[in-house]
Amino acid sequence: MAVYKKTYQRYAGTLTPAWSRAFIIPRYAFEEMHRKRFLNMFFLASMLYPLVCAFLIYVNQNLNFLKLLPGAPTQGFLEVNSTFFMALLGVQSMMGFFMTAFVGPGLISPDLANNALPLYLSRPLNRKQYVLGKMLVLVTLLSVMTWIPGLLLWLLHGVLAGNGWMGQNLRVASGLFFGAWIWILVLSLLSLALSAWVKWKPAAGGLLFGVFFVAAGFGAAINGVLRTKWGNLINISHLVGSVWVSLFEEPMNRGAGAVFFRVAAGEEIPVWCCWATLIGICLVCLWLLAKKIRGAEVVRS
Amino acid sequence: MSIVFDNVSRFYGEVLGVNRVNLTIPPGVTSLVGPNGSGKSTLMNLMTGLIRPTQGEIRVLNIPPDEPERLFQLTGYCTQVDAFPRGLTGYQFLYSYLRLHGKPDAECRQLATEALERVGMAEAGNRLVAAYSKGMRQRIKLAHAIAHKPLVLVLDEPLNGLDPMARAETIALFREWGQEGRHVIVSSHILHEVDRISDQVILLSHGYVVAEGQIQGVRSEVTDQPIQILVRCNRPHLLASRLFEQDHVVEARVDSDNKGLLLRTRDADRLYLLLNRVVMETGLEVESVAPADEDVNSVYQYLIGHDGGTA
Repeated sequence: MAVYKKTYQRYAGTLTPAWSRAFIIPRYAFEEMHRKRFLNMFFLASMLYPLVCAFLIYVNQNLNFLKLLPGAPTQGFLEVNSTFFMALLGVQSMMGFFMTAFVGPGLISPDLANNALPLYLSRPLNRKQYVLGKMLVLVTLLSVMTWIPGLLLWLLHGVLAGNGWMGQNLRVASGLFFGAWIWILVLSLLSLALSAWVKWKPAAGGLLFGVFFVAAGFGAAINGVLRTKWGNLINISHLVGSVWVSLFEEPMNRGAGAVFFRVAAGEEIPVWCCWATLIGICLVCLWLLAKKIRGAEVVRS
Repeated sequence: MSIVFDNVSRFYGEVLGVNRVNLTIPPGVTSLVGPNGSGKSTLMNLMTGLIRPTQGEIRVLNIPPDEPERLFQLTGYCTQVDAFPRGLTGYQFLYSYLRLHGKPDAECRQLATEALERVGMAEAGNRLVAAYSKGMRQRIKLAHAIAHKPLVLVLDEPLNGLDPMARAETIALFREWGQEGRHVIVSSHILHEVDRISDQVILLSHGYVVAEGQIQGVRSEVTDQPIQILVRCNRPHLLASRLFEQDHVVEARVDSDNKGLLLRTRDADRLYLLLNRVVMETGLEVESVAPADEDVNSVYQYLIGHDGGTA
């Protein structure tokens, strides 16, 4: 080990802003994801539905193209409205859910299992920034899968349709954007909290499915046995679907969260209850993360 | 500018981590010494903000440890834990964590390279950390702690796993950093190496600070244990007979080679005066006079004992 004769000099150069520290963390997570062929394939597959939608929107607005197809309708065959975009959001959100189940459990659990948190937290990085950095991995992925293609399709149709369509359908764009963000936040926080508490990755992934599907089934059982609708409070997809419907200003019986987030007629619960429950779930996840993300493991005996 | 602990206690539930610690750690190399569970790592985790004190206040160069953005621009921490992110080379490991300091890309590349050179890992930098030996992982952890050129270095058992050559070189690095005016805080179980490294020591036992300061000062405060002095001379029997006339000399043992005398006395100053007189009167040829228990090992034995309990 060479010993250099140097006198101590502190680094005197410029530093990037403190808030940007969290953006360093996703760097290697994305690199590791990129090395996994299955995740790459799944991510590409998740882009198929928006691509098909883009094609349909184009064809629907391009009557000259339709005339080339024998037997095709001579007028637009597709109604591009809030139901169309809610369906898109539903499909893409479900794809995002599976992606989160694959990626999410591996974000925090290896650091905890290897006792590697001090590596991060003995840097100019606090616990919030660490969680934010890990969350950015999921937020970026889910954004690319949900609201970004959604808004691009909205723009495409707006440009092709003209006649002030965009102005009349601003509510759809905001519904897409905020609806997707609600889903992203709930899903990311749940996934990170499970990753922090369940160190075995497959178990954490399985538990994420359990939280969504088993809880939904349990909620339905409660509804059936007690002849009530309040069992839906533990059905996260029902909660998110109801909030989406309110964001898109759709009548509950028509939009109903679309496809994977359908709310059965007569089982609707007040939207404020859905909001409150989703906020509660996020707060519980944050509390779980705060309990587990510590610089040094505290062992009580 | 020091590291200050003001009446700091840390409890893990009902279990004591450290209790009522009052310390001021000046620049230089400071060793934390104590048996397992004495509170060394707790003290290090407290000063780096990885855990918070149950009571009391800590300031590291006047920065509270709960401000990582300010603290870790000045502080490097090499933890005891042997954990690394998967799939990274040594260079990538250093580079990626340097980016967390907010330094630009080119600066991070240069600092990572310098740190690798400094710990003698320049050639192994492009190999995966997972393929490193125990000693190499220890060195890369050290490089990780020093890469951003911190003013305060907190090193938990940094000599573990190093071969003798690497130990000697690492100790030379610690001394160099200490002489540069940095705070180097080291915990170690290897007491003879602590002697070579340290400007001052902090002895811990069962969560309490048993003693602190320069080792000679600590030894002189242990008044219930007679001081040991080794005199190398040509007529040790003569010297022993003269010294035994004094009531403060409690033991004199002649070395097997008949050229040394190990003395135990309750009053070193009077012994030195007497030694001068004997030399003047008898023409005794003295080769060397040196304290035999002014080292960490002896002080550790006197204050903490073999079993780790406070003596």
